Amino acid sequence: MSEEKNYQIVNKEVPRLESWKKASGQAVYTDDIRLPNMAYAALVRSPYSRAKVLSIDVSEAEKVPGYLGCLLPEEVPQEFFNCSGNPPSPLLMKDEQVLTMEPKVLGDRIACVAAETEQAAREAADLVKVEYEELMPYLSISQAMNEKAEPLQPHIAQNDNIIEHRKVSQGDRAVGEAESDIILEDHFVTQPMQHATIELTSCVCDFSDGKHLTVYSTSQTVFQERRIMAEILGMKETDVRFSKPMVGGGFGARQQLHAQHVAALMSKKIGRPVNLSYTREEDLYSVVRHGSDVDLRIGASKDGKLKLFDTTFRLNAGPYTTHTPTVVAAASRKLQYNVPNYFFDGLSVYTDDITGGAFRGYGNTQLTFGREILMDRLAQALNMDPVEFRLMNHVQVGECFPCASIPVSSNGIEECARRCQAIQAEIDAKSPLVDNEDVRQAWGIAFSCHGSGPSNKDGLSGAVVMLNDDATVQLLVGSADIGQGSETMESQIAAECLGIPLSSVKITAADTLTTPYNTGTFGSSQTFICGNSVELACKDLKRKVLDQLKNIYPDSEVVEKEHSYQIHGSEDLELSFEEATRKIMFDLKGGVMIGAGTYKAAACPNPFAVCFVKAEYHKKLNAIRLLDIIEVADVGTPINRMTVAGQLEGGIAQGVGYALYERMEINPRSRRTQASDLLHYRIPQMDDMPQTYVDMVDSYDPYGPHGAKSVGELATVPVAPAIVNAVRHASGQELNSLPLCDKFIILPSRRKEEA
Amino acid sequence: MTDKQYQITLKLNGQTRSFEVEEGETLLHVLRERAGLTGAKKGCDLGECGACTVILDGRAVNSCCVFAVSADGKQVETIEGIGSEEHPHPLQQAFMDAGAIQCGFCTPGMIMAAKALLDRNPHPTREEVRQAMSGNLCRCTGYEKIEQAIAMAAEVVASYAEGKEGDRA
Repeated sequence: MSEEKNYQIVNKEVPRLESWKKASGQAVYTDDIRLPNMAYAALVRSPYSRAKVLSIDVSEAEKVPGYLGCLLPEEVPQEFFNCSGNPPSPLLMKDEQVLTMEPKVLGDRIACVAAETEQAAREAADLVKVEYEELMPYLSISQAMNEKAEPLQPHIAQNDNIIEHRKVSQGDRAVGEAESDIILEDHFVTQPMQHATIELTSCVCDFSDGKHLTVYSTSQTVFQERRIMAEILGMKETDVRFSKPMVGGGFGARQQLHAQHVAALMSKKIGRPVNLSYTREEDLYSVVRHGSDVDLRIGASKDGKLKLFDTTFRLNAGPYTTHTPTVVAAASRKLQYNVPNYFFDGLSVYTDDITGGAFRGYGNTQLTFGREILMDRLAQALNMDPVEFRLMNHVQVGECFPCASIPVSSNGIEECARRCQAIQAEIDAKSPLVDNEDVRQAWGIAFSCHGSGPSNKDGLSGAVVMLNDDATVQLLVGSADIGQGSETMESQIAAECLGIPLSSVKITAADTLTTPYNTGTFGSSQTFICGNSVELACKDLKRKVLDQLKNIYPDSEVVEKEHSYQIHGSEDLELSFEEATRKIMFDLKGGVMIGAGTYKAAACPNPFAVCFVKAEYHKKLNAIRLLDIIEVADVGTPINRMTVAGQLEGGIAQGVGYALYERMEINPRSRRTQASDLLHYRIPQMDDMPQTYVDMVDSYDPYGPHGAKSVGELATVPVAPAIVNAVRHASGQELNSLPLCDKFIILPSRRKEEA
Repeated sequence: MTDKQYQITLKLNGQTRSFEVEEGETLLHVLRERAGLTGAKKGCDLGECGACTVILDGRAVNSCCVFAVSADGKQVETIEGIGSEEHPHPLQQAFMDAGAIQCGFCTPGMIMAAKALLDRNPHPTREEVRQAMSGNLCRCTGYEKIEQAIAMAAEVVASYAEGKEGDRA
């Protein structure tokens, strides 16, 4: 359980280090970068989801004032690649091209135009005439899996459109069925959701000399992006630099290359730096959380013990593999209940729908949705309390998730549930549940878990900490702060380890030229994976300081005690860290102190969360309203309590949008997406949000830096099923798909006109 | 677009500045490309996200939806003009203290929209805050801490307005 620690800097509320830059408009994001002689590029994209390009005519585009040049498919490397910002894996099939003559989804890149201004580039791109032969797109999983469907990527899936079929199981299905007194099943469908980062996808690429490429871009995974780019361009990684400026949100959308390759090739062609930034419409159809189509059965004995979990889990990949098989694999490792008979049958399916990619929750969101709804129905059928039913089946410390190899190392799920119940009681004491002829209010709950770092233990991070003579340090890490606060959190870990003030740590992050390798910002990695490497680097630095002092005082005993150094010998000295630093730097036997740490994921501790939602159903309107959402998490030691609370609150908001109304879909008749802007792709606004309550329980993970686990993805996973469970209790309707606006009128959360 | 150029003069963060602009050019474009003020952000260029919010003659506007020529002669306040690191605006301080900033891309627009609200209504109710801010989208925070920050700043602004020593919440 919790370890008594007298922390000075971690487990506190710390405003993030770059706050002032962001609050004053000085923070530099990609599209704020102005390089001398910079040109602008715009993409010519397919309006069809599946077509063949017959001809491309740029003659009208060339007449636009300021036109600089055009890149056509035959001018760029033809090799297939996979844009996903994961480390290399056989699951990442290569099936995407820089520019294509055979678009497979609306928005596919056909050509690129450059001009002196962004406006001129867009005007020229619109004037490029492309003649297409239109083909029938397969927009749904069932269309693409139909035996008569043509293969969309014949070099990967010759006879069907299944990219990968992943089977994971333990136990015996027949035994699970026989031992279950009750088996509930349903078909669950979740929709594609877009990340809708407020910053638009953007890159500035300088490849003017054709030899050295510098990329500033909205990036979560600079080292993977550099590797893929170097492969596409046939270059050495040392000649490709990815440098991440401020990034205005990621949530997975930037765990991949977007259009940096085209911009780089355009820069080389015109010999000038190039800015390529998406419009909001382009951003919306660039990548989504996979839509899912899930068959699920859960069985339990009448005393409430789970006996069977059997699922066929299909994800709509769109026409490119990108992340899909790894998302499916991640989904298979998130069952936090003890189930002796577990069958996971996961299918990654090609379609002509918007390409699925990484999104906060990575496979977990889709499977947990159906699971937590079915668990609720089971509890009801067994006449058990939904919290107690889940708790009695929950994996405990020392036990493994089904089909997992590493035991759970810390678990505060029960405290999370109890804290939620305490907050629930306070809310109900103030506003008792209403149940009258017009309105019925009810609570719904869901549990969730995640990993800390990629669930396949891909996570790897280096950290370097360099000591200055005034006892401040330069911290170098490769991890990308995309708004989640990792730079502050990593600096806190370093300051705590070294016993120095936070203001004495200066961090440089996510620049492939200057910082050590880091797998990337995904899989809720940075606290655990990068944080551990920072802790190791700081320990290495302290060991080197101690060794150096021993060199300086060869006849004395030198010991470190609470960040100061006691020297006993011919003279007795006590040196503070500052004094020791100066001594080391400027003594005749001085040295430069550089600590290095490398952490390869040996564990992937599971953080846990419980979410309670209070909702109401208006019987005459068939309308719903969210009233209160509580989420309490076990994240181990929260390194920065302010950031963790912010992650929980933001995760709730994304869950609200997912549950209620967000959806990306292609309209083949209009040759656009149904929502092509933020009025129609509605994300929650301030006035849409119900009252939220978040908290963290006292917890400590033995493998985490200062006991910490992850929070980012965890936060959003339980929200949609908890909302659905509240709505099912309030409305009496069984629900198995999202978004809920298909079934109900959604009332604004905070209006109090009926109160 | 047309090549027709116009000269406009703005009172930009208290300074009089003139710009040559094109007919259809937006105020956001002038700020970012001609005035070198990139604090106002382009999140949609369609007036939907609020990231480009600036204050034009006392009113919060989406600067991507204001033609530069129509701003001629007007006062424009941007995030760059409301405070310094030594003397931040109470909203800037409150956003930092409350943890209302995550990725920060919506922050300049949020602060400017909130400033327009507090300039006009120093004692907004929570409901008024939520309504006034609902044109400014944030994808990171869930708005909880932004709402808190505006409430904190409102107290400070109100205490200034009453001539008291500002007591930071």
